[in-house]
Amino acid sequence: MAVPEVKEKYAGRIQEVTLGAGSRGKTVAIGGESTLPFLHFEGTVANRPAIAIEVSDREPDDWSPLLKEAWGDVMGDPAKWAAKAEELGADVIALSLDSAHPERGNTGADDARKTVRKVLEATTLPLIVYGPGQKDKDNEVLVAAAEEAKGERIAIGNAEEKNYRTIVAAALANDQVVIAKSPMDVNLAKQLNVLIGDMGIPKDRIIMDPTTGALGYGVEYSYSVMERVRLAALGGDATLQQPMVLTVGYEAWRTKEARTNDEVPQEWGDWAQRAILWEANTAITLVNTGANLLVLRHPQSVALVRKAIDRLMAGA
Amino acid sequence: MLIIGENIHIISPHIKEAIANRDTAAIQKLALEQAAAGAGILDLNIGPQKKEGVEVMRWMTEAVQEVTDLPISFDTTNLEAIRAGLRLAKVQGMVNSASAEPQRLADVPPVAAEFGARLIALTMGAAGIPVTAEERVAIAIETLIPRAVELGIPMENLYLDPLFMTVSGCQEYCPPAIEAVRYIKLGMDPAPMTTGGLSNVSNRVPAEGRSLLNRVYMAMMMAVGLDSAIADPLDKELMKVIRIVETRDDSSAAGSLLLLLHDRVAAMEELEAGDVDMNEPDQVEIWKTYQVLMNKVIYTDNYLRA
Repeated sequence: MAVPEVKEKYAGRIQEVTLGAGSRGKTVAIGGESTLPFLHFEGTVANRPAIAIEVSDREPDDWSPLLKEAWGDVMGDPAKWAAKAEELGADVIALSLDSAHPERGNTGADDARKTVRKVLEATTLPLIVYGPGQKDKDNEVLVAAAEEAKGERIAIGNAEEKNYRTIVAAALANDQVVIAKSPMDVNLAKQLNVLIGDMGIPKDRIIMDPTTGALGYGVEYSYSVMERVRLAALGGDATLQQPMVLTVGYEAWRTKEARTNDEVPQEWGDWAQRAILWEANTAITLVNTGANLLVLRHPQSVALVRKAIDRLMAGA
Repeated sequence: MLIIGENIHIISPHIKEAIANRDTAAIQKLALEQAAAGAGILDLNIGPQKKEGVEVMRWMTEAVQEVTDLPISFDTTNLEAIRAGLRLAKVQGMVNSASAEPQRLADVPPVAAEFGARLIALTMGAAGIPVTAEERVAIAIETLIPRAVELGIPMENLYLDPLFMTVSGCQEYCPPAIEAVRYIKLGMDPAPMTTGGLSNVSNRVPAEGRSLLNRVYMAMMMAVGLDSAIADPLDKELMKVIRIVETRDDSSAAGSLLLLLHDRVAAMEELEAGDVDMNEPDQVEIWKTYQVLMNKVIYTDNYLRA
């Protein structure tokens, strides 16, 4: 009996997006695959999933002590932090301009420029720059960041349905990449890509963030959403072919399991090991449904995820 | 196509208020408008009405029958209210609705049998709404039809509703509903009747986008033999599409593509990009709508622009 042919031939292909240009010593390309994750026998997996390490422009007061232990003194200085993250194996630096939040420092455009400049000088890696997640301040500091990093092809975000015009315009005007974030819903993800595309930004400058939850906090739901996005994209839906970025570190480190060891059952085991595995496990789950770029927090989970990706890419 | 006019529905604030005030004129106006627009049955959805159901249904039935002879579909979970309406009905009524959920399966069909009424039966069991056509049809064959037979309800009075779901969030349910209707109409002898809540397919869709989805789905459903739909007869564009399909009017760009779509679905074939004149905006709209209804392109509120 003949062995049935199981290879799928897809009509669509994931858009390749390159981060980094100009003074960046390295550039990172993500996306470009013509098949589902790691099905090397079936199509091309053009680029391996990349890892960004999250760096904040202010010492985070809500991060786990485990993260503070891991990073030590550099947490107070985004330039030193970025340099150390590069040393520990990041492909990309995800700089969060959190100090611009009205309740966390309310810094402005000038501070954002200085921080971005400092971090660009401290690392050769490409940058993602995130705003503080508050509409007016996002617009203020992301425009400043996009201008300051002109020629460096950074990614700025998040552009969301309620607030995307200014951010997309800044990316457009300064040749940057934009991150389109939607709330774990395939219809809304598509809608935002259409709206952003209407502004005329080329497809090789859009990354989508379909939002995830950590292991035990909705990762399986986001897995399904991403799977559906990816199948539609490979099926030929051009509005969903953007590579996907997920803020895994943010999600994993706010779970009770990772954040704290107070009053948890003894069976939960060693806290640090548990927390690191929580982040790594969430990340590895998501690369298997199409995540192209992971934003992580702990150096040891970065190492674990990198090792897993090495093995998944071994057949390429 | 038998249209069961959906407009007298408790979800409409206007109707809710009319019920609260026992505003006979408001109900009669809407009954007359739907009748004039081509409704074949008028659905009276009064909500659960646990306390006042009998009185409300009596009042509304009398109000409607004063101005039109159209049959009435009694749409409530209050069985006593349905009975009260059926007692007053001057022509054969309709019971909306039974399902394969054990309690509703036990309680609702006997009421239809008792009055010789038509019965809408949803292909939904205790486990909820199945995705696949096969599962929906299985509920009909294994549960709903035997129950009707047991009670002596003839197949021409049994209206199976395979459940139309919204393209906005339940997109994967849209194509199987079409196949379920096809199976019921082609695969059974004698075949029961079929119906469905057409406007459900565009639930949660912005108002300006709803009619297009409803009417393209209608053309596809007509292709597989749908007998009736709970729908809005005041939607002129929808009624026009029904007329186009029934009279095979290919005189417009939209009409010719709708007929082609209808014929393709009937033949279990697909509409293809090459069938569409991409310079005709009406055809492009139908093509894009067909693709989302077939779950080939992911729906989004601005899918026409994608």
